[in-house]
Amino acid sequence: MANPVQTQPAPRRWSLGRLGRVAWPYLLLLPTVALLFIFTIYPLLQGIVMSFFTRGIVVVPQVESTHPVFVGLDNYTHLLGDKNFQVALLKTIGFVVVAVPLQLAVSLALAVLLAPQSRVNAFVRTIVFFPSMISMLIVGVIWAWLFGRNSGLINYVLSLFGIGAVPWLEDELLAQIAVVIVWVWGGAGFNMMVLIAGLTAIPSDLYEAAAIDNTSRWRQFTRITVPLLQPSIVVVVVLGIIEAFKVYELVVSLTTGGPGRATVYLIQNIYETAFRTVNQAGAAAAQSVVLFIILMVLTILQLRFARKRS
Amino acid sequence: MTQTQSPWRYVGIAIVLLLFALPPIWLFLSSLKSQSEIFQWPPSLWPQAPTLQSYYDTFSRANFLLYFQNSAVVAVLSAVLAVTISVMAGYALAKFRFKGDTVFFLLIMSALMVPLQIVLIPVFLVLRDLGLLNTLAGLIIAPAATPSGVFLMRQYILTIPDSLLEAARIDKTPEWRILLRIIVPLALPAIGTLLAFNLVYRWNDYLWPFLIITEQEKWTVQLALANSVGRFGIDWPRLLSISVMSVLPMLVMFIALQKTLMNGLMAGAAKE
Repeated sequence: MANPVQTQPAPRRWSLGRLGRVAWPYLLLLPTVALLFIFTIYPLLQGIVMSFFTRGIVVVPQVESTHPVFVGLDNYTHLLGDKNFQVALLKTIGFVVVAVPLQLAVSLALAVLLAPQSRVNAFVRTIVFFPSMISMLIVGVIWAWLFGRNSGLINYVLSLFGIGAVPWLEDELLAQIAVVIVWVWGGAGFNMMVLIAGLTAIPSDLYEAAAIDNTSRWRQFTRITVPLLQPSIVVVVVLGIIEAFKVYELVVSLTTGGPGRATVYLIQNIYETAFRTVNQAGAAAAQSVVLFIILMVLTILQLRFARKRS
Repeated sequence: MTQTQSPWRYVGIAIVLLLFALPPIWLFLSSLKSQSEIFQWPPSLWPQAPTLQSYYDTFSRANFLLYFQNSAVVAVLSAVLAVTISVMAGYALAKFRFKGDTVFFLLIMSALMVPLQIVLIPVFLVLRDLGLLNTLAGLIIAPAATPSGVFLMRQYILTIPDSLLEAARIDKTPEWRILLRIIVPLALPAIGTLLAFNLVYRWNDYLWPFLIITEQEKWTVQLALANSVGRFGIDWPRLLSISVMSVLPMLVMFIALQKTLMNGLMAGAAKE
């Protein structure tokens, strides 16, 4: 304890209170940083290391074949000849290329349709947004029920027009189309809200001026709305691409990857490689690293693009 | 935007309403049908003899109440934990200058680029080493740190004037009291939004439970759901009733907090 009657000023000491003040922000950060380190950063590094080894998921000392063996880039070169991986990768890329623009178009149409303030629009916005509140598993269940070949509402409606039972989830191509439709349906409300927020920020006098000049609605849309909405569109596209590359949960309840392997996308393939085949943890890790690199490159490219435009 | 409400607009709105309202309503209506009516062709649009038989069967046969309880425990505790540590970290990043503050900020944000999907195996191993496999504790703790949550809180706390904190410090108010008595009450709107989001996110989450839980007594609703599909022959009456019930809490919350949820979204468009 400092003596109050000291004649000379005491050197500043590391009292408990001062230490506490310095440590305080670090203490506040500790839980978040520790959890992120344990459950995100360390696993990412371990995954990268793992991709250079062959090993079982769990290394059992007594079982020789599960022991890690360094194989360099073998896991990666094997991916070049791995049919399942290649098909899953191509299917995922195809899914992204079809589903993301479609979702943007649908969300944009919804946003333009429902942006004006009115009671009806507010109600319909709520309905469109609702699928964002429920799990993709349920979204898959809802649509699996609608798509049912001999029990689904969709085929019933089609039959009213004389169209025979469509095997939505039993045909390879139709099943992939179904996954796209359902994914777009599930995410449209969220993206619509992002776009509406952007739309309301566009000054209305621009449209008024355009109306005075007799500019057509379509020209107003392409010349005013789309360019000024670009920041929101970038958000929708970037998040959409990242989400689309991770498509999985919806498939679990809609098609379980079938028919055959028609709707097995990357995540499911990684999971099956890891947990359903023996001692392929390294191969699964290599697939994860490939996906990680794709996502990183896309994120960086999109950020660059967005910055250049603004 | 100036907009005249042309008749085509109403046609469009009607079609949108049909496309988005009908699928969930159809699920609900079907869940009220009897075993025989459910597969009747052509399907009856309205249940001819509405019955809660499917619900009764689900509750009596499957341990559904238990799964519901597991989901509720996990969602609530996990959301509270996530919000608590997000407030702490957000406050530190918003109101303190300390060595490495930028590094910490970037480190936390960069974790956004690493979704669970690409670290499944290593996370599984970490959980195993920590003894968290097959525990609800694992489900609560492991996903608790959310970069988007930290970011949301930081942005909100930045708007709280520094003068309030300085005045409290001059009065020698201990730091923990400043956090609890000044920051938390003033950040309540953001805390509420974040809590609501986390509840939704945790309740709906499938991937974490899928990775952590194998014992059936510890299943969450989403796991029970996923396990009702994918086997040979789907038990539709059961699946439909489980689906409706698993959506109910979200529906109630959505009706109660609709504005918060739909507008709060904009603040943290970077959902997980």
